[in-house]
Amino acid sequence: MSDPLSAFHLAVSFSAFTDIDFWTSVGILAGTYAIFATGLQMNVGFTGIFNFGQVGFMAIGAYSMAILTAEHGVNFWLSLPISILIAIGFGLIIGLPSLRLRADYFAIATIAAAEAIRLVALNARDLTNGPQGIFGFDNSWNSVSDSIEEFIVDLGWTDVPSLFPLFLVTWVVAIVLIVGFSRIQRTPWGRVLRAIREDEDAARALGKNAFSYKLQSLAFAATTGALAGFVLALNLKFVVPDEFQPLVTFIGYVVLLLGGLANYWGVVVGSVILWTVLEGMRFVELPLSETKIAALRFMILGVVLIGLMAFRPQGAFGKREEMVLGD
Amino acid sequence: MTEPATAAAPAPAADTGARAIFEADGIVKRFGGIQAVDGATMSVGEASITALIGPNGAGKTTFFNLITGFYRPDGGRAVFAGREVQGRPPYMIARLGMVRTFQITKALSAMPVIDNMMLAAPNQPGERLRNVIFRPAASIRREREVREQALELLEVFNLAKLADQYAGTLSGGQRKLLELARALMTRPRFLLLDEPMAGINPTLGRRLLDHMQRLRAEDGVTFLFIEHDMEVVMNHADRVIVMAEGKVIADGEPHEVRADERVIDAYLGGAKVTPPGADGEGASE
Repeated sequence: MSDPLSAFHLAVSFSAFTDIDFWTSVGILAGTYAIFATGLQMNVGFTGIFNFGQVGFMAIGAYSMAILTAEHGVNFWLSLPISILIAIGFGLIIGLPSLRLRADYFAIATIAAAEAIRLVALNARDLTNGPQGIFGFDNSWNSVSDSIEEFIVDLGWTDVPSLFPLFLVTWVVAIVLIVGFSRIQRTPWGRVLRAIREDEDAARALGKNAFSYKLQSLAFAATTGALAGFVLALNLKFVVPDEFQPLVTFIGYVVLLLGGLANYWGVVVGSVILWTVLEGMRFVELPLSETKIAALRFMILGVVLIGLMAFRPQGAFGKREEMVLGD
Repeated sequence: MTEPATAAAPAPAADTGARAIFEADGIVKRFGGIQAVDGATMSVGEASITALIGPNGAGKTTFFNLITGFYRPDGGRAVFAGREVQGRPPYMIARLGMVRTFQITKALSAMPVIDNMMLAAPNQPGERLRNVIFRPAASIRREREVREQALELLEVFNLAKLADQYAGTLSGGQRKLLELARALMTRPRFLLLDEPMAGINPTLGRRLLDHMQRLRAEDGVTFLFIEHDMEVVMNHADRVIVMAEGKVIADGEPHEVRADERVIDAYLGGAKVTPPGADGEGASE
């Protein structure tokens, strides 16, 4: 009664919304998924191939980097491009047999491939240390992170969250990728991808090697998957098989749907909306147990997705015409 | 011409006068137990307009799919401009200059009309990732050229006003025209059209036929088209090839083929009747 704010306080713990440490972590998550889904956008939104194994590329990227650095003493910065090449190699191995399949079978084949990768990571203990995972690959990164932090402190912001440098780097990578992918999509190369999305046979009849373009598209997805894997590993400071459940790919698809297909910037919007809503709901205090609130978050997400499909199927940034006109 | 049409067992290029640009020899395709194409043999003269006709299920479209790489033949040879094409992937055959359209139009619906056209242009360095990154200027230069050609061609087909519309918003007939215009963007030497007139109004159809004649006369483009409209076939084709049950049963000039008993049999299911329209010129036998 005395404090008019107390009623409000009951519903939302307002102070948490200004918790910069917390939102830095959410920002890293959103950035990771933006990177992750950029390649997915090229596959699904622009090439029409339903890659349901994106998390597999994330796992390959993260594990390759961790194994090379922590187990074999390879320089951290060198391990990054090598790991990307390994992920692309896996993309080609998965794509060569399965891209000849019809779209739906390709989806099944990729989800199986990603699960195979996770299960190998879980069981090939000599290589991956099994469920305990791998630590100690991030020394080089930590020193870079410290210098970024010092630099920011010098600028006058004294209570920098320790994860803020990772947040910065993640979003720089995400933005660079999205600008790059958007530009490449506007070239004749990107036009061939869209033609394949529309009608593969028409593209082939006009002299386009559709199979080769689909492989290239998958290689791009493998690249962004690996990059997202690096960020995830640096964020967690360890790499464990459990982080690479198929759910990660599905969340990537939710990001695509929220942001809209066939627009790379939609991936940013989708990812930010998704993680703000999911994590922000932690602070809505309800007379419920914590496990129920955790479940409620996903129920609300489900309702949002259903509403989106019903009223705005193109998502935030997609073009409605491109959705409706698909034969 | 002096030779009676009844003797027109497939005699490759014997009386086309012109050199053959395409020859198929004994093309076979089985689907399970069905012999869809059963040793089809034909030759198409350079710069000719040749019609491929036959009753439904004769194997015409399957034959197109076989010679353009969409199906793999179980036997036989197909030679285009001195190169064997059977078994090659479609994109390679298209790049050789042997380009097809589809019976059911394949307009790239969620792409603008102009993009449909520009996509088809050959020799675009910007379609290779390497060039996109290292030689962007070459790609942009070529794009400018291609856009101009595309707009010119759209003008011919009355589609210029629709250049920026999504192809999916076009009518069925307009899509048909777009598909032909798009095929022409590839600068083909040999165009295979699967029922190009189906679904377009007579005025546009005439425009299309005029354009075919012009391309043949000016650029020496060869046409092989599947058509059911006999008026079009008889008046516009220099040569007619007839397929039935997977085989080529007749091959000759329109008036010869029209009088051929086997053709009449094939269309009328083997019944020995003389169709009233056929005895005019056919009476000479």
